[in-house]
Amino acid sequence: MRRGIGVLLMVGAALVQVTWAPRLEIAGAFPNLVLAAVVAITWTLGARSALAWACVGGVLCDLTSSGPIGPHALALLVGVYVIGVWIRNLERVTALRVAASAAVATCLYSAVLVLADDTLGLPVAPIGVAVQLTLAAAAYNALLAPFVFEVARKLHGALRTAPQPA
Amino acid sequence: MYSAKGQSRSTGLFLTLCAAMLLLAMLSQQSWAAGPRGMAKSALAPVEEVMTSASRQFDRLMSVFGDVSSLRAENQRLRAADEQLRRQVVELNAAAKENASLRQALDFVRASGHHMVAAQIIGVGPDSFSRTLEIDRGTADGVKPGMVVATGAGLLGRVREAGPHAAIVQTLADPQSRVNVYLSKSSLQGTVSGGPTVLQLEIQHTLGVAPSTGEWAITSGVGGTYPRGLVVGEVATVTRRDASTTDLAGIAWVNDPAGITFLLVITDFTPS
Repeated sequence: MRRGIGVLLMVGAALVQVTWAPRLEIAGAFPNLVLAAVVAITWTLGARSALAWACVGGVLCDLTSSGPIGPHALALLVGVYVIGVWIRNLERVTALRVAASAAVATCLYSAVLVLADDTLGLPVAPIGVAVQLTLAAAAYNALLAPFVFEVARKLHGALRTAPQPA
Repeated sequence: MYSAKGQSRSTGLFLTLCAAMLLLAMLSQQSWAAGPRGMAKSALAPVEEVMTSASRQFDRLMSVFGDVSSLRAENQRLRAADEQLRRQVVELNAAAKENASLRQALDFVRASGHHMVAAQIIGVGPDSFSRTLEIDRGTADGVKPGMVVATGAGLLGRVREAGPHAAIVQTLADPQSRVNVYLSKSSLQGTVSGGPTVLQLEIQHTLGVAPSTGEWAITSGVGGTYPRGLVVGEVATVTRRDASTTDLAGIAWVNDPAGITFLLVITDFTPS
């Protein structure tokens, strides 16, 4: 049941990302809802769960983009793993930390995406353009992540207290 | 907070999933996997179509609400009447705009002499690196990878991948996109490359001839990727580089992907 809801929400996030989010474009970047969602899951449920959800979200992104299936998932996995290691010894969750982790995850995600495309022999964006887009996306996702985290935390609390079928 | 054992389990899971995704990427990139990959990518297309359509309806509603907010000082009856009239105007304007766009596209189809398939945009690429669009036409409609995509205004891009009922179009704004062009007045040749904000044109130096603003950049057909004669845009800025063998120009693209709702796929041009 919880996993079903999670999959539906992830599908929703991926679809919003490719249909509505580009309308909010600033400096060439637009919000990456799937990335913000997996960052929020890392803070809420821990790195292991977030790794699985990164795979689901990444494959959904791959299904809506050109090229092979896998690079977005791989890029999200690296971002989630690194921030998972970083936050595992932190005592307190603050909006600033969530925002910073989203920015770091975005930089890693972008770097892996470019590297994966290069490795797979796909055309790659010029380095200057890639850096500019990555920084803009990192700032955007950093602003978005605390709100997504708050939603994820409330949803997690609601699902935990909801009665489970016998 | 977490044990070392928990961390090593996370690392194990991470490495396993990374290996699985790499394998999936390598397998799905093979030519024999193009069919199943296209079918998998078409699976989300109907939902994307519904969401894109809903977003357009939302835009229409927002424009009506925007107009209404500026009329708060007026009395209720006038406001209601005004709202109704404005909604009609917005709808008529939208219909007129679409009508003009369709007429332009129809003229383009007649004038170009190419066979074309009209398609609607149902989604865009999920990241900022690739400026791609998803359309509601695929191999079942005769759309194949490599085909050139245009609007009534001019060149838009080319089909990168095609599933049975959806295809992914790489637009000229994609940083990886390249198209060879010539300028309408000076006849100088160059290459237009994509970018997040503006299209860049790199022009080869030719003795005694200089590019100027206001010239049109038109596909030259060199390279065989695009047919000759499609309008790309107007030269907006020119940067002379005496120390280099090329000059740079900024191109005001005739197409704004954010404002396009439908496009035309040229089905009878085969890129060499």
